[in-house]
Amino acid sequence: MAHLEVRNVRKSFGDTHVLKGISLDLAGGEFLVLLGPSGCGKSTLLNMIAGLDSITDGEIVIDGRVVNAVHPKNRDIAMVFQSYALYPNMTVKKNIAFGLEMRGVPADERARLIAKTSALLQIDHLLDRKPAQLSGGQRQRVAMGRALVRDPKIFLFDEPLSNLDAKLRVDMRTEIKKLHGRLGTTIVYVTHDQIEAMTLATQIAVMRGGVIEQLAPPQDVYETPANMYVGGFVGSPPMNFVPATVVDQGNGLGVRFRCAANGGDGDVVLPLADPAAAAQWKDREVVFGLRPEALTDYNEAEASIREHAHAFDCRVDVLEPTGADTLTYVELGGSTAIARVNPRRTTRPGDTMRLMADMSHASLFDPSTERRI
Amino acid sequence: MANLPAQAAADTLGARLGRVALYAALGLFALFYLMPMLVMIATSLKDVEEIRSGSLLAWPQSVSLDAWRYAWSEACIGVECTGLAPYFRNSVLMAVPAVLLSSLFGALNGYALTKWRFRGANVVFGMLLFGSFIPFQVVLLPMSQTLGFLGLASSVPGLVLVHTVYGIAFTTLFFRNYYVTLPDDLVKAATIDGAGFFTIFWRIILPLSPSIIVVTVIWQFTQIWNDFLFGASFTSGGAQPVTVALNNLVNTTTGVKLYNVDMAAAIIAALPTLLVYIVAGRYFVRGLTAGSVKG
Ligand SMILES: Nc1ncnc2c1ncn2[C@@H]1O[C@H](COP(=O)(O)OP(=O)(O)OP(=O)(O)O)[C@@H](O)[C@H]1O
Ligand SMILES: [Mg+2]
Repeated sequence: MAHLEVRNVRKSFGDTHVLKGISLDLAGGEFLVLLGPSGCGKSTLLNMIAGLDSITDGEIVIDGRVVNAVHPKNRDIAMVFQSYALYPNMTVKKNIAFGLEMRGVPADERARLIAKTSALLQIDHLLDRKPAQLSGGQRQRVAMGRALVRDPKIFLFDEPLSNLDAKLRVDMRTEIKKLHGRLGTTIVYVTHDQIEAMTLATQIAVMRGGVIEQLAPPQDVYETPANMYVGGFVGSPPMNFVPATVVDQGNGLGVRFRCAANGGDGDVVLPLADPAAAAQWKDREVVFGLRPEALTDYNEAEASIREHAHAFDCRVDVLEPTGADTLTYVELGGSTAIARVNPRRTTRPGDTMRLMADMSHASLFDPSTERRI
Repeated sequence: MANLPAQAAADTLGARLGRVALYAALGLFALFYLMPMLVMIATSLKDVEEIRSGSLLAWPQSVSLDAWRYAWSEACIGVECTGLAPYFRNSVLMAVPAVLLSSLFGALNGYALTKWRFRGANVVFGMLLFGSFIPFQVVLLPMSQTLGFLGLASSVPGLVLVHTVYGIAFTTLFFRNYYVTLPDDLVKAATIDGAGFFTIFWRIILPLSPSIIVVTVIWQFTQIWNDFLFGASFTSGGAQPVTVALNNLVNTTTGVKLYNVDMAAAIIAALPTLLVYIVAGRYFVRGLTAGSVKG
């Protein structure tokens, strides 16, 4: 249960600025997921927390102690690598024991800890094998065992599941989550899989090009993305972005955008749930963001209980059945938007359909800065 | 699995004939290459009389090891009539430490250059690479001055030093090229586990290196054992390696030329490298191809 602080950390390789001022404050027991596309600097940041990479500028603080100059072995962290990095020449048992041995843990204590850890991870029957004789999932477990056995203050995971097949990945994901619940250790976990991030994290840091775009609990990242990048990166399918204008609507404000329906082209105005926040934007262009599940088929019963649900007509372009929902492509304000529609209530492409937007989940963005309004 | 189709094909008559022809050709080539060796062995087992009267290719009528014994312990090398034995010992005392030291340094260099990329590592590697292209002749003079300065002139330890230094360029190249294929994450994981530079080297990197060690040791042993130039340039008299002694033995025999002794001496001088190939040859091939396949 360690408190991890990253203070304005930068990393440059010559003229390449890989991290451009990263700050984090992670309370003990949190599960932080670093989420971002390939090359955004996630592994670099993790390596710096581990002490494997030097810090160009800034501070890394564990439990109030600046560890910039502290050797990795003295930071009391453990790391699980994407490649697992098991020592090929050692048996599973020796792999797990290596870190303990290096720390001078006596043999009988080592044996006890190995037994405990291997039982926890269900790898007791593999202890005498070499890594080459293990399946991908088993190697993954051994790599976790090597980290767990030392009972470190902080766990660092660098895309630990990305080499596993889809089913195993889901299983291991659940297991890691359980493990975290049980041990309560602070975890920093790197992934570019946003589902993994949503399911595991207590905090998500969405990264792009060496900066953190948003640091918040998963549900906040999902519902109130700090900018269009985050809204587009998190969620599958991503958030819809509709170019729109803020206009007067009744005694509040609404967003107006064009939409083809019933053989013609018309304006749709949807009232904003929180007009006060958009007051300064009256008569100006904005980007109106709406998650696909907030854009559904019209349902009278639901429309009546949801205060901010508003219906409008729109022509359907493409249908993509996924089983649970049918993804329905429509054109709003000149850009493509996706609605999650009940498969029993779809129409044919080209027909007009009555949709319902839940405006309590709407986001507005500044079109020039792409920031949330 | 791969040769199953070939075996099936061998069942047809044409294919069988093809096979016979193939083996015949291979046998012929093998004979062609082995001929000099056979002639050497045969000659070394004959006595002088038989060599003079008989054909070069004929098998000895009475096998005798006298020439071997003479070459080993009695033949005159220069003015000393001690046989090859003391010089053979010199070669062993030179080659074994030089091979071990140059391989060990090569492994350490390769490990440091690939897994602890310090500032300027590429420059260091470039210079080492350059070092392996420097012709022997260029280093003769400065090296002999250095040996004189160190008080190692004309001594076996001097040769050990020369071969170790000169070999490091090659051994480093071998080990570096092998170690770049080992994942860096191993070193990172071990660092976090608490192991330092040398612990990682001994406990993790070296145990993963047998194939490249064999390649390097064979290469170095062959180079060092067969070296003539350094031996001839930096030593004289009792400190000479067996290659130089062999040359002197062949050249100083006065009177009747003892071809049987020359041949026996030549085989004795070549025996250790042959032996190394026979013992470790298959690891050599395996080691050369290691790294090209993921394993
Ligand atoms: N030694 C280096 N020298 C120069 N640039 C580097 C070096 N190491 C990493 N980089 C650059 O830093 C950036 C971030 O790399 P990093 O490995 O942290 O990305 P990542 O977010 O982990 O990506 P991935 O999801 O693919 O693992 C990349 O653009 C990479 O090219
Ligand atoms: Mg990475």
